[in-house]
Amino acid sequence: MPLRMIAFQVLFWMVAVAIEAGILRQRLRLGFQTSVQYAGVTNLAAIVCGWIAFLVIEPLMTLTIKTQIINYILFNRILMNGWTTQTGAILLAIALLAFFGTFFIKAKGIELFLRSDNAWKPVAKKPQKLLRDERYARARGAGVEVSQSNARFTDTMIQANAASFSAVLGLMVLRALIDGWNA
Amino acid sequence: MEDIIQDLQKQARSILVPTGYFTPQTLLLLSIFSLFIAAALEYTEGPEFAAIRVLTTMSWIFFTVAVWWALSQAKDLTIYGFKVYPWIVGIVLCCFLFRPWRSEDRLRWAVSTWPLISTGVMALPMFISWDLKLKQLKNKAKKMLITTTLVNLLLSSWIVFHFRVQDWVLSYPSLLVRGTSDSAFIYDFVVDREQPSQGVELLDRMTDEIASQLTGQPWYQAERWLYTRQPRLEAIYQDALNALESPDESLFWRLNVAEPRQVDEAYWLDLRADWAGPVARNGEFYLEKSCKIFPVNQPRAVARQDDEPQPMTQIAQVNCGEDSPTEQFVTPPV
Repeated sequence: MPLRMIAFQVLFWMVAVAIEAGILRQRLRLGFQTSVQYAGVTNLAAIVCGWIAFLVIEPLMTLTIKTQIINYILFNRILMNGWTTQTGAILLAIALLAFFGTFFIKAKGIELFLRSDNAWKPVAKKPQKLLRDERYARARGAGVEVSQSNARFTDTMIQANAASFSAVLGLMVLRALIDGWNA
Repeated sequence: MEDIIQDLQKQARSILVPTGYFTPQTLLLLSIFSLFIAAALEYTEGPEFAAIRVLTTMSWIFFTVAVWWALSQAKDLTIYGFKVYPWIVGIVLCCFLFRPWRSEDRLRWAVSTWPLISTGVMALPMFISWDLKLKQLKNKAKKMLITTTLVNLLLSSWIVFHFRVQDWVLSYPSLLVRGTSDSAFIYDFVVDREQPSQGVELLDRMTDEIASQLTGQPWYQAERWLYTRQPRLEAIYQDALNALESPDESLFWRLNVAEPRQVDEAYWLDLRADWAGPVARNGEFYLEKSCKIFPVNQPRAVARQDDEPQPMTQIAQVNCGEDSPTEQFVTPPV
């Protein structure tokens, strides 16, 4: 039974939600409950996407990669034939893909949530037709507010994602250290 | 005693006897009725009668709808204020759709799709009203639905993952030579599961086959066999692999046969099976078994002249030892 995996998954999820909700609340000025809700659901979505990707891709892999996967999952070891540049590159690519994938899912998810709650400011603020004076005003920098707000949102999301990834990575390193210490 | 029987009767009556025309009990009775007719038809007409399938399917449909209806009316079926009836209806639906008792595969499908089907059961009344009109979802309900769907997708993936791991262990049982206690994913309920690898069986089968091929052969034949051993050993090895309980793991076995050692008249044939797959705690391991092939003298089966000694012939004997091989672990140099 993959019980340890479930326990770790729930733990990591809670850590990520706590951290991201804090950042969302601070920087996007969402309510406490809303930010926890948004962070929870978007993280859940990211986890589910990861699982589906893994479950679809795993049977298509070659035997060597499959062996490595089994080795990691059943025996908690990555290196079977020694560390090569290739292994490193693949792991790095997976990590980057995971980071930007989750970032994309979270940003889109929260954007959709905000839209459905009619709280999406960056786009909603954009006026359809502008008078001539307003256009001049925009050109002189008054419209910066909109793009700034958009950039602020993206910024927040990147920050939240990075923070939660670092926290989970820290937990994993900690676990590895304790493991090595016990062994 | 009588009280209990009466009580049971009352209970059964309250479940079975409808209180009106449109109640779950009516459907339950219909379901039992069609099942009964189907059984009767099977008795009279034999199992190949088409109506039986129709009737059993109808029976299932009636039963599912009855359960659905009855449970969705029950108010106290909640855990922390969360309605659980869709998951119970989901079980019934999965049984209906997959018939999980027929094969392992169907059971897997049923269990893995159970959370998703249950979500569907939960979501359906949100979209369609009783008179089959589409409903618009409220914002809050939509969010709840999304969350439930995601949680159930996650549950499904966990179940699929569980079966995936199960598959690995079933197709490559020698993985478990040192257990899985290191894993960060799996918790094994069997403490210290350290089972012998299939290599034991592999080598035992091979030596049995070698013994049966060589024993009783004339000695010169046996020597020729040893001289041209490569293709024969390869064939024996393949047969032994295919005869294993889980032949899939033949991917991970490598056979090594050294040059036969000659001691006096006998030859020692050392078979060594290397495990090239993963195993816990940096353990690479191999199994080894040796066979001694030696000549014995045997009287030749010809008419014996009185004045001559019995003509002798040399035939081969094989002794591979009674013990099964055990796993030898190699610790790689640090």
